[in-house]
Amino acid sequence: MSRGSSISPSKPDRDLVWLICVLLGISGLNAQTNIVLTAPRQVSLSPNFSTQQLSVSWLGGAATTFDLIILRTEFNETVFYETVSATVNRVSGQHQWTWTSKEPLECTSLSVKICSRDGQTTSEWSETQILQGYDLPSKRDFQMYPQDRVVPVGANTTFCCIVEEGKTLKRISYGSTEMVVKNLSRRSYAVTAVNQGPSRPSGANVICQLTEINKIIGAVVFVGYPPLPTDFVCQTHDLQTSVCQWNKGRDTRMYGRRQTRYYVNGRNCTPPQRCSLPEWYGNWTLVAVNPVGQYSLTDSAELSHRVCPVAPVKLNRVVHAWNATVFWEWTSVNYSSLALVCQVELTSQGYKTKRVFSGSGLQSVVLLDLQPNENYSVQVRCGSQKNFWKWGNWSEVLPFTTKTYVPDAPDVWMWMNRDNTGLVVWKRPTPQQSHGQITGFEVTLWNAEENLQRTQSLSPDDYSLPVNLTQMASFSNDNEVIATVITQNVEGSSQPASVPLRLIDMDPPVFSRTAFTDSGFPLTWQQNASTTCSYLIEWLDASCRHDCQVEWIRVNAGSTNVSIETDTFQPGVRYNFSLYSCPSSSPLLIQRWQGYLQELVPSSSVRLSVSQQGSDAVLTWEEIPLADRRGFLLGYNVYISHGSELLPLAKLSDHGTRKYIVKDLDVGSYKFTVKAYTSAGEDTGTTVSIMMEPGSELILSILVSLGIVTLLLSIVSFICCKKRKWVKRAFYPDIPEPKLPGDWSRTRGPLDVKPSPHSMVHIVEKSEQDSFKDALVVIPEEEEDDEGQGIGDEPVDTDEPQSLRYYNQMVDERPIRPRFPDSSVSSASSMDSASTDVTYTGIQTSCSSLVFQQDPQSASEGHQPDADHSVSCGSGGGGYRPQMHPIALSDNIGLASPEPLLEPQAVSSGGYKPQNSWHIDSPTEEERNGLAPSLGSPVSVASTQFLLLDEEDHSEEKQQPPSSAATWLSNLLSSSKP
Amino acid sequence: MAGTRTRAAAVAALLQEECSNLLALYREKEDFPVDVAEVRLVPVAPPSSQLDTRDKLLHLHSALLQCHTLLERAITKEDEMLGGGEKGKYEKQREMVKNRLSHLIISTGELLKAADGSPILIPHSDDPEEPFSPSHSQPRSPTVLFKLKLWIYQIYKEVDHWTKAVIATLKELPAETDRKRKRIMPATRSARITRSMRR
Repeated sequence: MSRGSSISPSKPDRDLVWLICVLLGISGLNAQTNIVLTAPRQVSLSPNFSTQQLSVSWLGGAATTFDLIILRTEFNETVFYETVSATVNRVSGQHQWTWTSKEPLECTSLSVKICSRDGQTTSEWSETQILQGYDLPSKRDFQMYPQDRVVPVGANTTFCCIVEEGKTLKRISYGSTEMVVKNLSRRSYAVTAVNQGPSRPSGANVICQLTEINKIIGAVVFVGYPPLPTDFVCQTHDLQTSVCQWNKGRDTRMYGRRQTRYYVNGRNCTPPQRCSLPEWYGNWTLVAVNPVGQYSLTDSAELSHRVCPVAPVKLNRVVHAWNATVFWEWTSVNYSSLALVCQVELTSQGYKTKRVFSGSGLQSVVLLDLQPNENYSVQVRCGSQKNFWKWGNWSEVLPFTTKTYVPDAPDVWMWMNRDNTGLVVWKRPTPQQSHGQITGFEVTLWNAEENLQRTQSLSPDDYSLPVNLTQMASFSNDNEVIATVITQNVEGSSQPASVPLRLIDMDPPVFSRTAFTDSGFPLTWQQNASTTCSYLIEWLDASCRHDCQVEWIRVNAGSTNVSIETDTFQPGVRYNFSLYSCPSSSPLLIQRWQGYLQELVPSSSVRLSVSQQGSDAVLTWEEIPLADRRGFLLGYNVYISHGSELLPLAKLSDHGTRKYIVKDLDVGSYKFTVKAYTSAGEDTGTTVSIMMEPGSELILSILVSLGIVTLLLSIVSFICCKKRKWVKRAFYPDIPEPKLPGDWSRTRGPLDVKPSPHSMVHIVEKSEQDSFKDALVVIPEEEEDDEGQGIGDEPVDTDEPQSLRYYNQMVDERPIRPRFPDSSVSSASSMDSASTDVTYTGIQTSCSSLVFQQDPQSASEGHQPDADHSVSCGSGGGGYRPQMHPIALSDNIGLASPEPLLEPQAVSSGGYKPQNSWHIDSPTEEERNGLAPSLGSPVSVASTQFLLLDEEDHSEEKQQPPSSAATWLSNLLSSSKP
Repeated sequence: MAGTRTRAAAVAALLQEECSNLLALYREKEDFPVDVAEVRLVPVAPPSSQLDTRDKLLHLHSALLQCHTLLERAITKEDEMLGGGEKGKYEKQREMVKNRLSHLIISTGELLKAADGSPILIPHSDDPEEPFSPSHSQPRSPTVLFKLKLWIYQIYKEVDHWTKAVIATLKELPAETDRKRKRIMPATRSARITRSMRR
């Protein structure tokens, strides 16, 4: 039983160990929680009003973090509440933390409390410390804060205005802008200017106004940029000291007391952007400072690399005609061994040239290639030849004038007139050629073969000499005369310049045209390989003819082009340019040009005249004088005046045209204007007027026509005379004699035909037909035979009524004469007298006409045969059958047979009845209208064709009542009656 | 005396116009409101109707002298504390007013002399900060910039005020011109004023 009890005590021991451990752990924890956080003590406030910083210090025990709260005391508003880690002063054990206020600390009172913090555990709050503001009742003044603040551009600044006790704020403005106000306390108001822009030199004003009185208070704030200098560099002038320079950079907008101050290696540099230091430091630091910031720049270099020599002083010179020596001194003795390169700027007549010289301690230079008697000025600057850094400053300007020298040979040329007189001309020497004051010229005319000389001295103002070669003995021998010109000045005479005197342009080449360009008149020619001489180009006013003042330039041998440009060229003046080779020895004219600086419209107009040629007007004009053309004439414009305007008639592009014919003008007055034109336009023109008259042309044409008709008639008459037998056979064949079966023989004699009383024409006048009293009253001969057979439709005889009408008129005034038995005589009589007698011939002609109407030629003339006539004649068996009027047969004939009588006796006894186409009665209406059937009298036809107008006129008459033309013709014929 | 008075009146009229222009330029430049309360900086009583011509002139002359001194100080201080930029229209007008004020002081001095008074010499000192003038008794110029600006503005207003006073006084003078010599007051009072000015 004892062993069992020995085992049981071991388990309780193990539990005890565990319990002890737990208790120890708990006790350890309790030991930690027993560190008690104490509230900060001895809290003190230290304000910095200018920086608006409040420094808070306290004794805070073992805590490392603290909660800090800042309140606006009066309104108990929290301004700041954060947990901060304060720094601990190991000596005093004080914690310190600095807070920066957005508002000036003067604005209102601030209360500060602190508590210690350990994780989530905090201590009690410390006692409240109050920073008293300036809005306490004890400070009753009208105040504003902050004052005279300087801030960078873009900053935000809060201003507060503390109004007087009992007063009311009216407004707070920043510049001219009224600001939004926030109450900080009962008397304190704040505004915040955000992102402030640069202010003016006197600063921006923040002004606080009260309502009750016109009292203001305010603050000034300056807003600008921190400095930002550039290009800081240091160099030496005297090889000992250093001079540093820089650029200010941007405008800081800080002025006066607030402007940027500069320091180089700690030395205050009063003159801006430049600072002299007493030695060569090798390294330099520039510090630029202003109230809103500062900026630094550095530079470093060896002295020999930064040598900028000072300007040479005490310049002097030794002057000759063609060169000069310039001396100077150095203010620094250290330059004596310094390798220098110097620039000498030489100015003459406004032109500057630079010449470079070098040498150790250089103190003089020789200027070569100067012009005699020329004004120069020089100035010098130098640099270090080794490790050149930059040129030093220019010295003062030294003026001098070179000495005079003998002049250069003049440039001589000549102008020869065609009468062997002329001018020797030379150019006015330039100052570069005269080398001094010109005292005169000496001109010598001489001949090499005869060695004759004529020398003439001229004044300095003479630049030409008239010559007359005909007065020289040597000239008559065709020897060449040479002119030699010498220029003289105080130093002596120039080399002679010669030109042979002779007329060169005996056979001038054709002028080419040259157009002026910006560079002048461009002239180009072909190079003559055989010519090694130089060239001379001469030009003059093309209108000049005698003693012309020529101008010229010389061109080197081998040249093939040149541009001529001088100030003497005038617009509207034609210039002739001539190219000569070998101008000094044997001038040869090679090429010529003409050109205008600018073409203008002609200054005068053509001299215009006009004449009449028939119905044409002939305009002729003269050439415009060369001086008045003022351009190359391109042609002429011809105008005709129509009222106040000119209508173009022709544009004559050939400037050689001097004549223009205006054709087919009617009678009347005309005005013509002719204007010449160049490329610049046309001139004002010349106007002439002409009165076109009828005239001579029409008369001439009538005479010519009459002559031709007369000639034709003569030819026809001649032919008819020559061929009269043929004509007679063709037109007037013999009438076959009737053969009688019985003994009808009797003595042949003329047939005495007495006119029948029935053959008389009776004119019946009717008052109601006055208008037709002169008209034709016709009874057609066919009327009885073929009454009503389309008479009016036959055009063949439509002209017959006219003929009859004519005869009728004649009848009206003359008695009918007895008939002649001979038909030919009768016919001739009829033709001759144009009588209205009705003749036998007419009857015969009627039948013969029927015969000829078979002739195609006759048919072609339009005389168509009348069918009725054919029938009528045909019924006659081809023989002669006198016409018988079937109606108007007289009673004493006693024959009522409608058959015509064939026997001559019957004709004789019964009375031959010549044509009697006229009824006693008045004509029918158709007849009045011209539709009456023709009687077809051949005599009438023949007579009519001779007297009346052509067929067209005739046809018109057929359609019209008696016209004026017919009346005129009848009157003409009436007047021609015997 | 009439010619001198006329000349003085003309100068005063010119100065008054120029001073008005200067005030306008300054208000525009500094964004000052028009209705700023005036503060008298020149401790001289305005010439009352009870004073005779000579005393009136003496008061005016003294006030103008103090204005001139103040103006010179203002210009110097303004250039020192607020200047530095390019000179513009305002600066030219400011200089014109100063010169015109000098002329007016001379003119009133001549008037005063004609009225048997002893004119006060125009102050001239090489030290603009501490000029030789009756203004020694005046407070020093403000050091706070806004107060300096306000002070300058009030000096301009003071010049304007006293110029107007001169104009008004000169208008009243003609009636007394011919009698002034016969009614010369004992010089004791004016002498006392003169001494105080010189002090």
